[in-house]
Amino acid sequence: MRQWGEAMNITVNGQVHTVDVEPEMPLLWVLRDELGITGPRYGCGISMCGACTVHVNGLAVRSCSLPVGDVTGPVTTIEGLGTPESLHAVQEAWIEHQVAQCGYCQSGQIMSAASFLMTNPNPSDEAIDQALSANLCRCGTYPRIRQAVKTASAKLRGDAS
Amino acid sequence: MKRVLTGFAALVLAAVALAEDPALEHWSKIYEVFSHPRCANCHVGDDHIPRWSGEHYGEPQPHGMNINADRSRIGAESVLCSTCHTQQNSPEPHGAPGAHVWLLAPVEMQWWDKSSREVCQQIQDPDRNGGRTLQAVADHIRHDELVHWGWDPGPGREPAPYSPEEVAVFIEQWAGAGAVCPEAS
Repeated sequence: MRQWGEAMNITVNGQVHTVDVEPEMPLLWVLRDELGITGPRYGCGISMCGACTVHVNGLAVRSCSLPVGDVTGPVTTIEGLGTPESLHAVQEAWIEHQVAQCGYCQSGQIMSAASFLMTNPNPSDEAIDQALSANLCRCGTYPRIRQAVKTASAKLRGDAS
Repeated sequence: MKRVLTGFAALVLAAVALAEDPALEHWSKIYEVFSHPRCANCHVGDDHIPRWSGEHYGEPQPHGMNINADRSRIGAESVLCSTCHTQQNSPEPHGAPGAHVWLLAPVEMQWWDKSSREVCQQIQDPDRNGGRTLQAVADHIRHDELVHWGWDPGPGREPAPYSPEEVAVFIEQWAGAGAVCPEAS
């Protein structure tokens, strides 16, 4: 871990930022309060709900619990997953299935789904339910989440059916 | 009265067995550690479901959020353990514990829900202990960082009894005394 008092560079969504914060500060605080990147949400603060999920080195992590000093690679948030002109397949599927209700958890859901599909590109319904159970949605959008993940999986595999 | 006498006789026989065989006395301390939630909760079987326990949980129970570490034992098939488990314990109550790596023990090393005799036989079987001699098992406990997490489990979790060094010595003493296992109960 980096030492206290050392400014550190952190790459978020392809852009390098220099931040002067304590290495114990959770990544979520750096993203939201230092860099103004507010897509990742604060939910529980103890990795239980998934609203803060971002990618580090392409894999999902809970940014509320990850000390920024332990970040070992580039960070991607919902803002950097795709672009308005070229959305990520998971984002496209989320719109197609109108997954969101209140929307608070959805950035975390999408980041978890995108990471999940990288490690498991052709998941069963059971695997989808299992994987996304770790992201809580109080609106109960899980049936639409499952459909959207299946659609995104097919798109990412180049399956037109 | 008959039942009380029978129970008393069983206790006396167990005490006599311990007194007669120092290896069993050493093993009872080792099993006290291996069956402790800090160890057994991650030495689970082929359901691949880690267990939780702590001051507010009562008895150990399946890991929340439908978590299953699957055959990879690191959750690669669904949610990677490293999604929530960082390299250090969360300082928050009920926060995720962490270490430099986080994974379940191999499935053949199941301790969860296994008897003292079963664990005793497993730990000295190279096919089920990672190909180790008993000295290598002792050294593994003495030096492995993830094993040491059991004695530094973060807030709200009871550490495993004794210390890694003490447990390593118990294993060496048990091996030196013949590595005897308890009889089936």
